[in-house]
Amino acid sequence: MSTFDNPFDPSRALNRSGCSCGRHISQAQHEQDAARLQCLPVESDERRYENVVASAVMRALFPKDIARRAFLQSLGASTALAALSQFFPLKTATEVFASGGPIEKKDLKVGFIPITCGTPIIMAQPMGFYAKHGLNVDVIKTAGWAVIRDKTLNKEYDAAHMLSPMPLAITLGAGSQPIPYTAPAIENINGQAITLAIKHKDKRDPKSWKGFKFAVPFDYSMHNYLLRYYLAEHGLDPDQDVQIRAVPPPEMVANLRAENLDGYLGPDPMNQRAVYDGVGFIHVLSKEIWEGHPCCAFSASKEFVTASPNTYAALLKAIIDATAFAAKPENRKQIAEAIAPANYLNQPVTVIEQVLTGTFADGLGTVQRVPNRVDFDPFPWQSFAVWIMTQMKRWGQIKGDVDYAKVAQEVYLATDTAKLMKEVGFTPPAATSKTFVVMGKTFDPDKPEEYLKSFKIKKAV
Amino acid sequence: MKTASLTGRAAVVSLALLFSFLVAWHFATRGSGVAQSMDPEYAKLMGATATQGKSAMPGPYDVGAKLWEHMRRPFYDNGPNDKGVGIQLAFSIARVAVGYLLAVAVAVPIGFLIGMSPLMSKALDPFIQVLKPISPLAWMPLALYTIKDSSLSSIFVIFICSLWPTMINTAFGVASVRREWLNVAKTLEVGTWRRAFTIILPAAAPTILTGMRISIGIAWLVIVAAEMLVGGTGIGYFVWNEWNNLSITNVITAILVIGLVGMLLDLVLARLTRLVTFPE
Amino acid sequence: MSDHFISIEGIARRFPAPGGGATTVFEELWLSMRRGEFVCVIGHSGCGKTTILNVLAGLDVPSSGAVIVDGKAIEGPSLDRAVIFQSHALLPWRTVLGNVTYAISSKWRDWNSAKAAAHAQKFIDLVGLTGAEHKHPSELSGGMKQRVGIARALSIEPKIMLMDEPFSALDALTRGTLQDEVRRICQETGQTVFMITHDVDEAIYLADRVVLMTNGPGAVLAEIVENPLPRERSRSDFHKHPLYYATRNHIIDFLVSRSRTFIEETRGEYNPRRVTIVRPGLPEPIIAAGQTSQALTIPVRGQQAALG
Repeated sequence: MSTFDNPFDPSRALNRSGCSCGRHISQAQHEQDAARLQCLPVESDERRYENVVASAVMRALFPKDIARRAFLQSLGASTALAALSQFFPLKTATEVFASGGPIEKKDLKVGFIPITCGTPIIMAQPMGFYAKHGLNVDVIKTAGWAVIRDKTLNKEYDAAHMLSPMPLAITLGAGSQPIPYTAPAIENINGQAITLAIKHKDKRDPKSWKGFKFAVPFDYSMHNYLLRYYLAEHGLDPDQDVQIRAVPPPEMVANLRAENLDGYLGPDPMNQRAVYDGVGFIHVLSKEIWEGHPCCAFSASKEFVTASPNTYAALLKAIIDATAFAAKPENRKQIAEAIAPANYLNQPVTVIEQVLTGTFADGLGTVQRVPNRVDFDPFPWQSFAVWIMTQMKRWGQIKGDVDYAKVAQEVYLATDTAKLMKEVGFTPPAATSKTFVVMGKTFDPDKPEEYLKSFKIKKAV
Repeated sequence: MKTASLTGRAAVVSLALLFSFLVAWHFATRGSGVAQSMDPEYAKLMGATATQGKSAMPGPYDVGAKLWEHMRRPFYDNGPNDKGVGIQLAFSIARVAVGYLLAVAVAVPIGFLIGMSPLMSKALDPFIQVLKPISPLAWMPLALYTIKDSSLSSIFVIFICSLWPTMINTAFGVASVRREWLNVAKTLEVGTWRRAFTIILPAAAPTILTGMRISIGIAWLVIVAAEMLVGGTGIGYFVWNEWNNLSITNVITAILVIGLVGMLLDLVLARLTRLVTFPE
Repeated sequence: MSDHFISIEGIARRFPAPGGGATTVFEELWLSMRRGEFVCVIGHSGCGKTTILNVLAGLDVPSSGAVIVDGKAIEGPSLDRAVIFQSHALLPWRTVLGNVTYAISSKWRDWNSAKAAAHAQKFIDLVGLTGAEHKHPSELSGGMKQRVGIARALSIEPKIMLMDEPFSALDALTRGTLQDEVRRICQETGQTVFMITHDVDEAIYLADRVVLMTNGPGAVLAEIVENPLPRERSRSDFHKHPLYYATRNHIIDFLVSRSRTFIEETRGEYNPRRVTIVRPGLPEPIIAAGQTSQALTIPVRGQQAALG
């Protein structure tokens, strides 16, 4: 279920909490606040902003509560508003607030890795989404995940395309200094595949894969967790029965050709490229392992978010905008042409097209049609974060007790994204957490420890 | 019959070797030429290797054409990730220049110190022996972590790797200055600093410059490796970018360009060495 | 009390030998030289002649004893004592002019380059190298290089010139020419010279006194032969002088046998402070003022020896 679904669909719940504006625990509280002109039922964004501004002005004019209430009771709310606007241009103030305030830093550098997961970040440059929101962004191609992490940490990049576990790992201090990071938007969902060498085309049953050498792009990646999950579900211990190592994406194809690898779970376009070059075939798409899994994220340091909130808001809006555009199947061809050249992905256009449109050659002689082979949905479900952390714990990447909910909330900024999605005209889900199914097994984000314990194969503690 | 000059004959042999290499290369990469039978719609989606049996390795024609293409427009700029080979080379050479000159500025004085003082020579020797063999690829992560800027880190790595040949050669040159020249200085009551600049330096100059020549080779090697690791504009980054695209043709072109520039740098240093070498 | 411009006073040079003990190059050497004198030291290889020269130059420090030059003890190398090395020791990266001006600017630090060049030119002309000023040493022949060395040493107008077998690396013809030049220059300038050689004819041609050194280790100064030839000698007929062969034979006799046996023969009687002075062939003995030394006469063939 995508964020961009019809909000008038009765099967979707809009509110999680008990009141009509969504910000109070109960209707009673809500009515209390209403009386204090601090909360009116939200009719539109504009009204909401107006009220915020108005209440700020009121508080400035009448610092003492009693005086304010007396004023209001004598005039009534609407008259009071009219009276106020004589002195204070409320409308203008509202617009300024709605547009997010002046941008602190117009020229930004955003790092990306040249894979199709980063499509929204990349396409926002040539297709003008950054410019539309008042930013001048240079998207810089980066040599690898470790480098992109280092350059974001040392502030050469203002924000970056990262693997969705990376902001969590950085915040938790796994593999680097613990620095609070945020992942306010997911770049893509699905879009990966397990590719095997052509010589294994008769070895489709995972049980015959004992002793195989696999590659994933990075240790803290959905690829690693998905591959391990897949292997474990088929009875193979990923640490004992096969070898998994981190290999940079372009070297995956070369290694496959050189027969150093038997297969990999990698990002596109490396899967399609292996098919295109005739060295591999696509065994299974990642969406068949977990439909709707996150892959890459747009990430910024907490410092950037708090120090330059308006810039951050504009940047995020641009990316959400781009993501929404990319979500529509009719736009995919155009996007492929925009991001294929040397400045961005540097791949043959047909390879990118096959990935984005989902009409592709599978390496075994058939043309397959899977339209949402890759999909784009920016909402950073906090349950994604919780699942990732259970898998990190399962394979020994983090040790000790983890406050799953707290970390998920701090890193995956679902509430921020929800707010900005509304501003660009899309409707976010009201909840920040949901359950989902991975290879037939349900994951409940409220019960992470039990989920973790339910696995037979995991790293021995 | 007058035999042709040595240079002339060597040129003929070189050209013959090149020609036979190109011919062998051409035949090795001709590919099977067999088109696999497949669904036409499928074939449209597949690359030339799978459909036409074209070899994955490019042949000399392909590389030549690509090289020509790059040489024709060396300075185009399509954005931060796509610039002409001339611009990439300029960035790399600039980084090498800064790192290399810094290295020489540090290595020569320290080399002097080591060459003139047996105490310092023995004292500094363990550090030199330990630091000397460390590969630039090992320095890079440490540099990035502490220096936090990728351009400065590359320059630091060039500096730390090209320091040693110059330093060691300077020390050797200084320590091996002919006794009799030093005696001349003594009998003329030449002071320490004047002796260092007018006797020791000119005497050791050929050895120092030989060390510098080795260092420039290392510096050029390192920048390519460093840029492949951290990206940014530069010829090493260019190689990595094309590798990403699995465009072997471009990678080979880049390698040729790298080799040519390396050769030019070496020629410059060789020339300088000849300038300061005086036979007796 | 006498006018000793240079006085070598009891210098000794010893080296610690491997395995304990010491190797003695020489022990207790005494010698004095007058201003304007040309002294040659002759001896076999390894007797320590070069060591004496190095001590005089200040390049080597004696294990004991001292050298006094013009009333002051030597404390190290000095511009007053110029050295001409056996292997010319020219700086190959400088031209002929550059090499000479290097020495000049070392002595007179405040001279500007024009002044130094002019001064250098004088001496370059003196040694007969006019026109070769801008050549590098690699472009010069052996003889020319040695001339540059001589010009360099002369240009700083030193109190004493120390020459270490300066002509031994040259062919006979060049050697002859250079000997003439050096003799002429030193006479003109009144230069004091201390020279090492093992060419007897050269010593007789050039020197006022020839010092004979025994074989090493533990060499001593056996005799000082005063050159009987007049100061005005010419290459073409100096060997016709009646006392030439007496002198020559005496020195060769020494080199052939007595350089080995001298110490043994004169044990107990040898006094390093009073080295025997030999004046070949003069009829009366002359006792030099203040020096109670023995004077020997060497009979010329046919005459009777007279001892007094």
